[in-house]
This record gives sequence, C-alpha cells and structure tokens, in this order.
Amino acid sequence: MGERVVRFLLPVVGVVFLLVVWAVLSANVQDLPSPMKTWQESKIYILSPFEKRGEMDQGIVRLASYSLFRVAKGFLLGIVIATPLGFILGLSKTFNRMFDPVIQVLRPISPLAWLPLGLIIFQKSEPAALFTIALCSMWPTVLNTIAGVRTIPQEYRNVARVLRLSKFQTFTKVLLPATLPHVFTGYRLSLGIAWLVIVASEMLTGTPGVGGFLWQEYNSLIYAHILLCILTIGVVGFLLDRMMGFVEMRLRSI
Amino acid sequence: MAFVEVRNVSKSFASAGKVRDVLSGVCLSVEEREFVSIVGSTGSGKSTLISILAGLLRPDAGTVTVGGENVQGIHPHASVVFQNYSLLPWFSALENVRLAVQAAFPDWQRARQVEQAQRYLETVGLGGAVQKRPGQLSGGMRQRVAIARAFATNPRLLFLDEPFSALDALTRATLQQVLAQLCTEAGNSATVIMITNNLDEALLLSDQIVPMTRGPRSKLGTPIPVRLPRPRTDAQLLHDPTAVRTRAEVVERLAEFVHEGQSGPRPTAKIRSVAEAKAVEEQL
Repeated sequence: MGERVVRFLLPVVGVVFLLVVWAVLSANVQDLPSPMKTWQESKIYILSPFEKRGEMDQGIVRLASYSLFRVAKGFLLGIVIATPLGFILGLSKTFNRMFDPVIQVLRPISPLAWLPLGLIIFQKSEPAALFTIALCSMWPTVLNTIAGVRTIPQEYRNVARVLRLSKFQTFTKVLLPATLPHVFTGYRLSLGIAWLVIVASEMLTGTPGVGGFLWQEYNSLIYAHILLCILTIGVVGFLLDRMMGFVEMRLRSI
Repeated sequence: MAFVEVRNVSKSFASAGKVRDVLSGVCLSVEEREFVSIVGSTGSGKSTLISILAGLLRPDAGTVTVGGENVQGIHPHASVVFQNYSLLPWFSALENVRLAVQAAFPDWQRARQVEQAQRYLETVGLGGAVQKRPGQLSGGMRQRVAIARAFATNPRLLFLDEPFSALDALTRATLQQVLAQLCTEAGNSATVIMITNNLDEALLLSDQIVPMTRGPRSKLGTPIPVRLPRPRTDAQLLHDPTAVRTRAEVVERLAEFVHEGQSGPRPTAKIRSVAEAKAVEEQL
C-alpha cells in the first residue's frame, strides 16, 4: 500500500512544484499571468470545450481537434511516402548511394523554412500545412526503417534463401515482420514532429486550431490564453506519444 | 560420378586487410541415399564447407555438382538444418513448417500443406505444441521444429550443420534417434551430409565418416566406411561386437589422420587402450 501511495504522490509533488515556480515567476514578471489568473480567464474554454462562439473563439477540445485532424492527414501522408522509401533505401545499395546526400541535406530543414515554399506551391494555407508536416515528419520513419532493414539478422535472411522463398514472400514473411518494431518507432517519432509542425504552421498562417488561437491571443494581449495553449499542446503531445508507444509495445511482443 | 561431387573446392575470406584461407582443395564424393558425416575440430571451416555445399556461398575455386549439374544457389530439393534453429519467431511452429512446405510445393492446397506440416511435427514429437511460437519452446523443441521443417519438404538432399551441438547431452541423444528414424523411414530417399564434432553421433547415424583437418587451408581425408545396418542404437554401439570393432577401427583411422596432419605420416600404431581412444577423440 505504501509503495502505491508514494508512486502516485511523487508526480503530484512534481506538478505542484512547477505551479509554485510559475506563481513565483508571475509575481515577478509583469505580463506573465499567475496560475490562478490563467485558470480564471481560461475556465470557459476548458469547461465548455465543445462550444463555438466565433471562428477563433471555441472550446479547447474543438480547437485541439482541428489541429489533430490536420496532423493526422499530414502524418499519414508523410508515412505513406516514408515507409516504402525507407524500405527501398534499406534494401538497395544503389538507390541508397543515389539519394543519401539528398536526404542528409533535406533532413535538418526546419518546418518554418518549408512553409513559405508550401504556400507558394499550393497558394492556400491548408495544403501548405500538410505539405510542411509531411516533409518534416517523414525523416524519423525513413531513417528508422532503413536501420530496421539493415539490422535484420542474417539468420532470417538465410531462412528465406534456404526455403527458396520468392522475393515477394521474402518481403512479406521475413523482412516486414522483422522490421516492423523499428518502423513503428519511426512512426512514433514522426508523430511527435508532426504535432510540433502543426502548431508552428498554424501560428504562421493563422488557421483555426491550437496554434492559431495561441498566436491570436498573443496579438490580442490576452496572455492567460497563451499559457492555456501551451499546456494543451503539451498534454495532447503527451497523449499522442503514449498512444503510439502502446501500439509499439504490442508489436514488440509479437 | 557420384550424386554429390566436390572437386578441389577452395575458399578464402578477406577481412581488415588480412586474408584467411579457410578451405583448400576439398574433395568429396557422396552416393545417393548415403549419410555422410564430416568430423572436424572447431575452426576447421566446417560451416563454410556446408554453406558452399548447400549453395549459400560460392567457392573461390573448384566445383560442386549435384546429379551432374553445378550447384547454383540452393538446390530445389535440398533442405538445411542450422546449428541455431533459424526459425521465424513471429510464426507458430506449424506455420514455420507450412511455409517450407508451401515453398516446396506451391500448387498444393493450403489444407494439404497444413496436414503435411502437422504430420512431421507429430513425428518429431511436437504434436501438442504446433501453435506455439519459437519463443515459447525450449532449445530441443526448436531444433525438432527445424528438423520437421527440413524433412517436411521431402528433400532429396539434406545438409545439417552441427544440428545438435547447442543442446544438452540428453536432448542430443533423443534428437539423434529422431533423425535416425526419419532418415530410415520407408520412402525416404534423402542423401544427407552432416557436420559434427561428436564422433559417437557420427557413428550412430552415418554410412561414411570423413575427417577434416584443422584450419587454415582445411582438407578432407579419406572417408571411413561404417558398415553397420541402420538405424542403430547407442546400446548397440556399445555392446554389439561388430559395432565395437567398427568403432575401434574408425577411432584408429581418425587417430592416424590427426597425427598425419600434425607431424607428417608415421607408422600406424594400434590403439591399445580405452584411454588412448579417448585421447584421440578429445583431439577432435
């Protein structure tokens, strides 16, 4: 019994500590609202999370869900491109040598640099955001898939050769199951980046969503809502990661 | 020409600037339906040799022919049993064996493939564990699955690379009998080449024992025939007078071979005691 209480208590202590730090900081920094003030001004968004009072004045769940839909679309687009790409690069030395320098250069490019390009190409903010999300979030999946293919034990490849499996069967029965855990690690990291990118792109383009709301409230000088957004972004990101982690764990035990 | 003919096979590996000559001028002839054991010490290149025979590796020099034709990749009617099971961990035992059956007989109906897989798993004594994953099976059971998988495709050629050396002595003895039974089963016409470092195992299972020199540049010596009817039992090898004589002969020939390899040819000396015989065996 004692151990359970301690286990529950410790994270609570951590959170309380953070609130105290926040309260102290807000007492000393002029524009930073205190936890209490943040709660009072944000209550309405949390307590009626599904309400829509205006385009940019909606409940927190509604705002978060707009962002999540965009993330889902961009993320899926990203992994649909990244997964086969990762396999091809992992399996074919020629292909790898052809495109490795290109990938190494594209990889570190920040979403904020891709977004204007997306706007030029697609003219509208929604497809531009999806373009940016896909392009930024695909790299962990590509790299993890390549790593997964490269680390398939020679033993399993020998089985495929000894049984004289066709190329298709070798792929579906041996290569794919062997690399699946790595691929899902890639998906998990990609999802994290996709969530990050959507907030940035919403801030830049002002589309309705958590990021858009954050930037709008900053411009309207309602700072308590900025903190609300920050917290929401953190909590949703955490939940997404947990969800993917759960899927990953189920796969590893197969 | 013999069914399996190996002529002057050589193989070297280069790594980090150094070249290792593993095999040099290896020759072997195996008739159809024979069971041949290659006996040698660790590091003599046995696994390399069997990989070349099975078609997993290409030799640097020399030829390997099966039924008169050069080996190009894995022979269509060949099965291989590795030292460390090599089962796919995400499939059940049944599915592992069925996959092999499907690859060998693609036009069979799935039900028939399953039935074949089931039958061989039962023969090796795993009838009750067919749905288990390799992770849920012991080492001995996994190797039984590997053996079932090898035989389920009705192979004409079977390669075994120290199949039991990762197992404890008791399991090893049981599986040797399983293998002996499968090899002498009615209708089984497989030619078997096995690598082993255990002389008793070779005596139990083979028609010919071929010694292998220590590396580098290993070669095979003259085959030693074992003229005893198969299947044999451990008890028989210990007590039957013909068997005991054959065993002594084999040990003697191996001793000659080992001594020749170490210090050049010398006059043959009869093995005088059990202790001396054991000493020879330990050198393997």
